[in-house]
Amino acid sequence: MTERTYTALIVDDEDLARAVVREHLAAHPEIQIIAECANGFDAVKVATELKPDLVFLDIQMPKLDGFEVLELLEPQPTVIFVTAYDQHALKAFDVHAVDYLLKPFSLERFEEALQRAKARLGSGTPSHVQATVLSGTAKSDWPLDRIVVRDGTKVTLIPLAKLDFIQAQDDYVLLKTPEKGHLKQQTLSSLETRLDPKRFLRIHRSFIIQMDRLARLEQSETESWVAVLADGTRLPVSKSGYARLKEALGEV
Amino acid sequence: MHPILKSKARLGTYLLGWVPFGLLVVWMGYDHGWPLQDLACLFVPMTLSAAFLFLTSWYLCRAFPAPTFRILSHGIAWIVAALVMGGVWTILLWLLAQIMTLIPGLGDLGKQVKAGWHFFFVMGTILYFMVLALHYLLTALEQSREAERTEQELRVLTRDAELKALRAQLNPHFLFNSLNSLSALTTLDPKRAREMCVLLSDFLRKSLKLGERTTVKLAEELDLVRNYLAIEQIRFGDRLTVAMTVDPEVEGVEIPTLLLQPLVENAIKHGIAQVLEGGTIGISATIHGEFVEIHVDNPVDADAEPPQGLGLGLRQVKQRLQGRYGSRTFFDAKIRDGRHEAVLTFPRLFQENQP
Repeated sequence: MTERTYTALIVDDEDLARAVVREHLAAHPEIQIIAECANGFDAVKVATELKPDLVFLDIQMPKLDGFEVLELLEPQPTVIFVTAYDQHALKAFDVHAVDYLLKPFSLERFEEALQRAKARLGSGTPSHVQATVLSGTAKSDWPLDRIVVRDGTKVTLIPLAKLDFIQAQDDYVLLKTPEKGHLKQQTLSSLETRLDPKRFLRIHRSFIIQMDRLARLEQSETESWVAVLADGTRLPVSKSGYARLKEALGEV
Repeated sequence: MHPILKSKARLGTYLLGWVPFGLLVVWMGYDHGWPLQDLACLFVPMTLSAAFLFLTSWYLCRAFPAPTFRILSHGIAWIVAALVMGGVWTILLWLLAQIMTLIPGLGDLGKQVKAGWHFFFVMGTILYFMVLALHYLLTALEQSREAERTEQELRVLTRDAELKALRAQLNPHFLFNSLNSLSALTTLDPKRAREMCVLLSDFLRKSLKLGERTTVKLAEELDLVRNYLAIEQIRFGDRLTVAMTVDPEVEGVEIPTLLLQPLVENAIKHGIAQVLEGGTIGISATIHGEFVEIHVDNPVDADAEPPQGLGLGLRQVKQRLQGRYGSRTFFDAKIRDGRHEAVLTFPRLFQENQP
């Protein structure tokens, strides 16, 4: 019986760290390394194009951290995190990582992780998780300081300072910056929990605004209110949104 | 907050201080042949009104704080305020007297108070000056106490920062990442692996040794920094280059132990490690007159949100500098043209006068 072969991607910003994984994999002809990436951007691009079965993923990397990379991959590959930081271990299992290797690791520990990965791959369990809940947590747990969006193989980082408002659109959120709008598959509520409420406020079931963009509130003919942003955009304000706004603005 | 109204004890003491004044008025009135029971009626409202009215001199005291005295402009303000408040008090007394004339049995007293208005006006003006002086005195006392407290806090902070700095001297992630590089090198390049072992051991030995001392020569600290960067250079490869310029004159200057190490670790962690193509860490130490000036700069990710204020590591460096050199030091860190730059200056010669 011939063993199944799997494709693997190694993602780490340090050459030597990739070399260790590569060396250990050399003893496993059933694992075929299809690419190595030195940063998160490349990782997303390559993984989207080549769809590897297994990814060895560092967490602390320039531009995109490991959790952000994982968030942008669809379908999500089987992942083994490889990092020097033990504080992310629990989170790694929240995103259903197969294993979490702490640098430096022994050959035995590596083999164990690989066996687990092969078992997961063999069973064909889809490892579908909402990595969005963890995205950005490699830097600090809360609040988020940027949002990552993928369009095809192109990754965009949106610093929160650039956001004007966020609009719910079915299963997506529309992230509106002065230049353009970005669509991302996430619910408005799950995004809201990751934002600093002093800076971002939910004014309506479908809208969150960045507070310093608010120019004024206008009363439309009935009892309802309209939020006017600095660029002139007019957004509806719900009753509870109005209450929250009043509280945030400290008005009576 | 008003220094007298701040606590009940202070207000009580202040009011007690007015009792002799009230008694003086009673005695003077008695001397003029005013009936004693009438004077007793006058005593309380007169004293209380003056006591509370003149508390307002606090605002003048706050508007013209003691260190900025300018005799002419402040003197005029004081005199005008004293005349106005003396006048206000006299008017109050006049109103009081007006009411008294309506009360049967007190009519005489009311008339006499009205007749003596110029006496009360002069007295009110003088009293206002006295209360104003009291406020300046209290403010000065409070300021000196405050200064003492700040100094004490600063000293505690410095000690805290020292302790934390010593504890943090061995960044575990630096160690784990270095050991991981070493793990790769053992088969890839045994010679470099050995080199890495030596560099790591040297670094550990030096930082342990330096950790026992409170000050070191700048040359020793820079030696440790070079050692550290050599290790990171193995880890980051082409991504890290170092440009160091050190004026030979500064090498003998004594500085707080491990002052620069956190700056360089920051430059790696938030600089080189966050930038795809890496870059150059620039370190320079130069002399400017009586001062030593040190720069540490590194590239930063242009897309990242700039940090809000100083991070913990940089804050500690600043606190340690201030703890040792007081106001004779400068520290600043900011991002300019895609590079993060930390600048610090401190006196070249410094006489230790720790308690």
